[in-house]
Amino acid sequence: MTSTSLEQPSPRVSARASGRGAEVIVERLSGALLLIAAVVLAFYVGVYFVYAINLIGFPFDYDQGEGFELVDVLMLSEGRWPYQDIEAYPFYGSIYPPVYHVLLIPFAWVFGPEYWYGRLFSFITTLITAAAIAYAVNRESKHRWIALVAGMAFLSSNIVYHIGPLFRQHIPMILFETLAIVVLAHVNEIADQQRRRRQLALGMALLILAGYTKQLAAFSAIAALLFLFIRQPRRAIIWGAGFAAVGAAIFVWLTWATDGHWWTQTIVANVKDFDPAQAIGLLRQWFNLHGFLLIPALAVIVYELYFDRLSIYSLWLPVNAALNAISAGTWGAGDSYYATSIAAVCVLSGIFAARTLNRTWTFQPNVYSRALIDPLRRYARPIRMAGLILVPLLYLGYARSVLHMPTTGPVFGTIADVLDLTPNAINGFYDSAGRVTGGYADIGHLTTRADRSGGELILDRVRAIPDDVPILSEEAAFSLLTGREVITNPVVLYILDQVGQVDSSGLVAMLERQEFGLIILRARFYPPTVNIAIDTYYEPVETILMNGFDYVLLRPRDEAPERGS
Amino acid sequence: MFRNDFTITKRQLGLLLLAVGLLAFAGVLSIDLIDAGREGGIGPAQRIALALAALIALIGLTLIPLKDDPA
Repeated sequence: MTSTSLEQPSPRVSARASGRGAEVIVERLSGALLLIAAVVLAFYVGVYFVYAINLIGFPFDYDQGEGFELVDVLMLSEGRWPYQDIEAYPFYGSIYPPVYHVLLIPFAWVFGPEYWYGRLFSFITTLITAAAIAYAVNRESKHRWIALVAGMAFLSSNIVYHIGPLFRQHIPMILFETLAIVVLAHVNEIADQQRRRRQLALGMALLILAGYTKQLAAFSAIAALLFLFIRQPRRAIIWGAGFAAVGAAIFVWLTWATDGHWWTQTIVANVKDFDPAQAIGLLRQWFNLHGFLLIPALAVIVYELYFDRLSIYSLWLPVNAALNAISAGTWGAGDSYYATSIAAVCVLSGIFAARTLNRTWTFQPNVYSRALIDPLRRYARPIRMAGLILVPLLYLGYARSVLHMPTTGPVFGTIADVLDLTPNAINGFYDSAGRVTGGYADIGHLTTRADRSGGELILDRVRAIPDDVPILSEEAAFSLLTGREVITNPVVLYILDQVGQVDSSGLVAMLERQEFGLIILRARFYPPTVNIAIDTYYEPVETILMNGFDYVLLRPRDEAPERGS
Repeated sequence: MFRNDFTITKRQLGLLLLAVGLLAFAGVLSIDLIDAGREGGIGPAQRIALALAALIALIGLTLIPLKDDPA
């Protein structure tokens, strides 16, 4: 049984010759449209670089919680686990695995508490991920132009743009996941046993690294093991068992080494409330932004299901999209949960585009090809010509969907005027996603001098407090940059409180005794008992705007009620 | 199945997906049957889960005619 292309030789040679001119015109039009699409996507990559450079130079928290990732790095660099007893002073804990933070330890040793190296590291990992996507598309299709476009499409996604240069562990997780998938994609075809085993070991090691960078990588591991199982169950079971054994051994060791706090904070604390409206909203938004590439990606999956063998990418996308769609509805989750599936979308849509342009779609003879494909063979030529136009239009449609850029400054201001864009986010930023879906991060804008001045002003307020008087800051930067001890990680405290795994009475008692000379709030992500104690024993004295958010500074009340009243 | 040259066929994958889809469909429906006192009927997240389960079952069903082609 042999596969056949959609195209078959036509006896009407003269008609074919006469139609060749039209075909040449269509090919040239396709090339021109693809060039325009590539230029627009390259523009987004340029915007991404501008955003990254701006953010790397910003010395304060930009996204909620970045500073606590830096605290994790600093603690690990001092040989301490961030998974501490959160009920004891300084009430600190962490819900994230340590790989990202461990990788940053050398920077912490050299540069100390700085945000730039974590952001630069994350930014570079997104560039490597884009390169891995391009490599995968080129390997599958031998179409370098489309491979380049696919890599740029990844960096052009609003969601990838958002999180790419943040001091967050989510971004290197995507890199390790993508590398693992690319490494394992053709492992079954390697005839040499030693080489095949080395490649399997590398793929599994990358999956473990991804999982111990962030727990969500488990979804990519499921997809990879399913792929291996479909191709060769025996190999999948043996290697899957080894993978599980190594992963479990690390897990048990971490639980033992942290007196069980690893288990409580990274697993128990992650069982969070589910909000269906947030999950559905983010799913719709993901589709609205990436639909132009998602549809061809799904077409490749359907093709492989019925006319070819399933590739690892065809399992990676649906498994990740489905499981992350559910996870994205949990408290504290957001649009970033879709970033891995965007990588898969870019690979699969790139394969679709390259096969269409290369004319390399082949169909195994079976019941479906006979019923659905064979009747279309007489229209092979117009279908192919339509495909030549469709591919660049898909990328152009995608480029329009993900439109995001600053609207101020000599270059961006002029472009925004031409496009008639009205900023819809902080600091004159325009984001086609809007800011209407719960869980969609309110970031992406450039920071300004005013933001930096706001941060400096808060630092001045902190420095005015005697060194022996602690402060309670909802963001770690203000403690780190003034050489003070970071007290508690609010989000960890909050979610542990939600699942009944923490007693905050120690922190509440300090608040009741008014031991903090200053409290800095941004979003009040503390447990209710802590928020009540803050309001009871402290009063707001100043609000400072930074980065689009109001930072409320509180001092002890002169006339506070009796403790415990 | 544990031979070095064994690979899952389209039919086997189809049967597996059909079973998974039907079980998932029944499981999502049973949330309401078991939790009889719950108000509000089938919610939006449940509807999506039901549609997904049905889609998986349908894909499985349509793969069965492909017989021994490797999946």
